[in-house]
Amino acid sequence: MKTFAATLAVGLAFALSAFPALAYDGTTCREAGNCWEPKPGYPERIEGSQYDPQHDPAELSKQGASLAAMDHRNAWRVWHLKKTGSFQYDVSKIEGYAADAKPPAQ
Amino acid sequence: MRDTPRISLKASASALAVVLAFVAAPVKANEALVDLAKNTDNWVMTGRDYDAANYSTLTEVNKETVRRLRPAWSFSTGVLHGHEGTPLVVNGRMYIHSPFPNTVFAVDLKDPGKILWQNKPRQMPTARTVACCDVVNRGLAYWPGDGESGALIFRTQLDGHIAALDADTGETRWSMENADIRVGATLTIAPYVIDDLVLVGSSGAELGVRGYVTAYDVKTGEQKWRAFATGPDEEILLGEDFNLANPHYGRFGLGTRTWEGDAWKIGGGTNWGWYAYDPTEKLFYYGSGNPAPWNETMRPGDNKWTMAIWGRDAQTGQARFAYQKTPHDEWDYAGVNVMMLSEQEDKEGKMRKLLTHPDRNGIIYTLDRTNGDLVSADKMDDTVNWVKEVQLDTGLPVRDPEFGTRMDHMARDICPSAMGYHNQGHDSYDPERKLFMLGINHICMDWEPFMLPYRAGQFFVGATLSMYPGPKGDRQNNLGLGQMKAYNAITGEMKWEVMERFSVWGGTMATAGGLTFYGTLDGFIKARDSDTGELLWKHKLPSGVIGHPMTYTHEGRQYVAIYYGVGGWPGVGLVFDLADPTAGLGSVGAFRRLAEYTQMGGGVMVFSLDGEGPYSDPSVGEYEVIGAAEKL
Repeated sequence: MKTFAATLAVGLAFALSAFPALAYDGTTCREAGNCWEPKPGYPERIEGSQYDPQHDPAELSKQGASLAAMDHRNAWRVWHLKKTGSFQYDVSKIEGYAADAKPPAQ
Repeated sequence: MRDTPRISLKASASALAVVLAFVAAPVKANEALVDLAKNTDNWVMTGRDYDAANYSTLTEVNKETVRRLRPAWSFSTGVLHGHEGTPLVVNGRMYIHSPFPNTVFAVDLKDPGKILWQNKPRQMPTARTVACCDVVNRGLAYWPGDGESGALIFRTQLDGHIAALDADTGETRWSMENADIRVGATLTIAPYVIDDLVLVGSSGAELGVRGYVTAYDVKTGEQKWRAFATGPDEEILLGEDFNLANPHYGRFGLGTRTWEGDAWKIGGGTNWGWYAYDPTEKLFYYGSGNPAPWNETMRPGDNKWTMAIWGRDAQTGQARFAYQKTPHDEWDYAGVNVMMLSEQEDKEGKMRKLLTHPDRNGIIYTLDRTNGDLVSADKMDDTVNWVKEVQLDTGLPVRDPEFGTRMDHMARDICPSAMGYHNQGHDSYDPERKLFMLGINHICMDWEPFMLPYRAGQFFVGATLSMYPGPKGDRQNNLGLGQMKAYNAITGEMKWEVMERFSVWGGTMATAGGLTFYGTLDGFIKARDSDTGELLWKHKLPSGVIGHPMTYTHEGRQYVAIYYGVGGWPGVGLVFDLADPTAGLGSVGAFRRLAEYTQMGGGVMVFSLDGEGPYSDPSVGEYEVIGAAEKL
């Protein structure tokens, strides 16, 4: 009986491991356009779970800061081009350029 | 007595003013580009015209004559690595681009042996280290000029710049920063001109870059708008009527609500594929790519609006619709592929303005491009297994959980692979035959995720991949990785299909001559009968092809041109000499036999019937001694 139970347990375990994490087929929606579900055995939220990537907020903010800085330099280049008719890529050579101020209105 | 119509002087003056104003008004860039595209002497944009159909009405080269095609002239870019896209031809000149360092050349079609100008930008060489998949570039854009300014050529650079070049002299008019390689963002997309705007996408989802598309003023480089793929609605630029026709696709707030925490800030959705434009609807169309990282367990949610087909107003950037093809992507089915526009009767006989998009995920979608209605969604091959079907009423893919991916699990035999059954190839639509000519990948994969932290500027993938031929290929010999197919979007049927040794990566061109041209990774340009798929002609090129063919006439003669230069994602193993089969995000194993057939190169090859062309007269381009006539 014990052997049978062990065999059954192993068989069940194998059957479970052989099967994929079923159920998530993407058609059960909590609202229109929001149809994700956690797969069986996986968390609804990963924060605090073994799958929490523990992102550094400082790293996550770098892209936005970089885009803002590029847009700022570009705005000065455009300002200079409109004012003088010539293009200057190196913003340090643009008269009046300031890293912390927008170009004057034209 | 004859009744003479009386027209007041005031009314006459008003009418005259209107007429004069109309006459004096400069021709808008759109109209000029449309007119230029109608002239077969030109190929003014990457997809030939705004329909992005890569279809030419030329017939000199046809089923009967194609066997006489021979090289007429060629041009080496001097750059190895993958050459994607296609050259432009405008007003008797060919504009040629190269991969990094993104040199642009102009040559005169009368004597292409003389370079009219070349523009080679100075770039930070470190840009090469953050490019995910070789150092490719997909092409140029042309702005025809107006009464104030001359014509311009637009170029993207791997280091993230968008530059305007004087089309006449090659001089740089302006250069703006659009992407920062220090945070992993690069540029490989071909720019796109609509009115007086130039649109630019973004690359770097494999490094967690949050995707965006930006519009700049062609004359000054001033930013007009920017639309992100993820995040708050006001940054995605959702119009008030967004998805009004299809509210079941989802509408507002989903760019943050379908992510956990701030994951949308590093969530990918870059767009580095192709654009199309409908001047009547004033909408342009493109696809946003994969969410980041590839490891799906690290980003719960549908991850809106990555993986979407977009219809946006070109002037404001506001989105009228978005349809997410692969919610919560688990396989890197980046949805950036070509959008081909056609007008066809649907199954009910109603004439509709359509958009057809062969997606990485193995499904080819056709939408009503006026409002985003889903018209059809067919498997490009019956071996697609991650999805059972796409419900046309809901738009939802019915996933097969057996082929899902997740942490602590090795998923096996997923079809298609991350490379998709279709990738960046710019395909074509033949309106006479109502057939889309598709260059296809036939590759499947095993996928095992792993955890990793996000560090700006570093790779952020989180999965190990093994790739191999699909079920119809030769897995024992690792060949049979591609197909060519002719698809009818209304019936859903493939009229013909043939296997290829490797992926047909670069795309196709269809012509009214009844031919479909394409290049192969092993270095052939081929022409097939568009009705039957029969191979009618081929020519061996110096290196493999990942670009798409184009055709034009010059002085009454039809030419066919194509880039050669193996590389891109399928070529990373070859160009970087990699051996680990899981390297190159899994492509090295799949294409390990490519080096037996081709090696690196880079240039354009131009063909004509019997090879006739500018140098049929051997005196063309010869050195002339000043005063030689007098000496004789």
